Amino acid sequence: MNKRKSESSACAGLQRLDVPALTANDRGRMAETPNLDPFGLARSWMSQWEKLVNEHGTELLAKPETAQAMQAMSGAAVQLQAASTEASAKLLAAANLPSRTDFEALGARLGAIEAALARIEQRLRAVAPDRTPPRPPVARTRKPPAPSGDA
Amino acid sequence: MATAFIDSAQSTVDRAIQRNLKGLGYLASSAPVLGASPKDVVLSRGPLRLYHYHPLTDEVYRVPVLLVMATTNRGYIFDMVPGQSLVEFLLLRGYDVFMADWEAPRAEDRALGMKDYVEDFVGGSIAEVQRLTGESDVSLVGYCMGGVLSVLWSGLNHAAGPKNLAVFTTPVDFHQMTLFQAWSDKRYFDVDRLVDTLGMAPAEMLATAFDMLRPAGRVAANFQLLDNLWNDDFVKSHRMFDRWSNDMLPLAGEYFRETTKQLVWDNALFEGTMKVGGRPVALDRITAPFLHITAEHDHIVTTGASAPLLGLIGSDDKEQVVLKGGHVSLIAGPNAVKRMWPKLDAWLAEKSI
Repeated sequence: MNKRKSESSACAGLQRLDVPALTANDRGRMAETPNLDPFGLARSWMSQWEKLVNEHGTELLAKPETAQAMQAMSGAAVQLQAASTEASAKLLAAANLPSRTDFEALGARLGAIEAALARIEQRLRAVAPDRTPPRPPVARTRKPPAPSGDA
Repeated sequence: MATAFIDSAQSTVDRAIQRNLKGLGYLASSAPVLGASPKDVVLSRGPLRLYHYHPLTDEVYRVPVLLVMATTNRGYIFDMVPGQSLVEFLLLRGYDVFMADWEAPRAEDRALGMKDYVEDFVGGSIAEVQRLTGESDVSLVGYCMGGVLSVLWSGLNHAAGPKNLAVFTTPVDFHQMTLFQAWSDKRYFDVDRLVDTLGMAPAEMLATAFDMLRPAGRVAANFQLLDNLWNDDFVKSHRMFDRWSNDMLPLAGEYFRETTKQLVWDNALFEGTMKVGGRPVALDRITAPFLHITAEHDHIVTTGASAPLLGLIGSDDKEQVVLKGGHVSLIAGPNAVKRMWPKLDAWLAEKSI
């Protein structure tokens, strides 16, 4: 099986995946023969498009006007969310249903109960130790391997 | 010539068939199980989960290793699948491995600030590792913002600091992260309103910001997947990294507010004015052996943002290594297996006895 190395362009979020693509041998053979791969042209086009969009896109995104517009939109979305949360809380209260805030308060109480249980478990372990056999302790005596001399 | 032509045609047809067959398989199959190395959760506090991985050797180095994950992402990037797991690699090399990983903060965690993350979560994890192993020495290894937290803890606790401090792609000069600077420009970005209203920095907002660093990246990644559907290794790798990069965490409101104001706006870590819980952080008083590994093609934490860290650390024994790769491929994937992991092991082994 061929061991192939990646020459793919970067993927945002995925970064460079270093996954198999084409070897130099493949490319040499392809240069001598007509390219029948329908993805060949698309690959080249995509690579150029990605470079272009990344270059110009980041230039555009770095402009103060873009940041101002982005933050204005983001601020409006936050305000909208706050208003909608407040309105839905009123509606839920009118319908005698718990709101998000009520659930959050419940979550906080559950968190406090979990913490109390953890403290109780810890104390119980002290008076009634777990009967399952613990994993055997490992010796902390390891030494680094001797240098091979060919590094 | 004719043979080459026939070979080329055959190869193209083969790939087209494989692409279609495996494309169907891709849609129908489940994603690989990630982060499955056997471990115990030894400390659970707010969003912190401290894992202790089961040793894989009969004899381990005296000094345990504590990995500190970035607060925006899940720690299984360090433990993808067998053969592509830094955790497994370290275990097989004879280290006793712990990891401070994060869950999404709950609504009641919104008030957690930098002091909680540094002193309670990183400091608390170190104390727990010391208690469980009976060793006072601990090697601290942080990634990205996990590196920042590790450096902050070390800069606050220089006397009782870590035995060894290694960080990967850790930003210090936040003014060099030009796109993040532009988007968080204090003239337009009202962090107080965001935090006071939502209580958290939403994961979607953070994911969008990371995506916008390479606007064409998502489309190009999907095209690459389609192009390489015939290739099992590529598809497996894509699925793992795609799942991880989409699995972002929200940030606790106060922590995000302090990060934005102190680190991004005031550049306090670089300027030497950083305080955590009112206590000054003195990077120049860190004396532990220090290693900073950065990536040549890191578009998130650029070289300009990470490189000055070495000069700010006080240790005599300190080293910066720039390796090929990006922000993520530095620490996981075939590139990391070949380059970063052996470098970390070589640096850490002799300092762990």
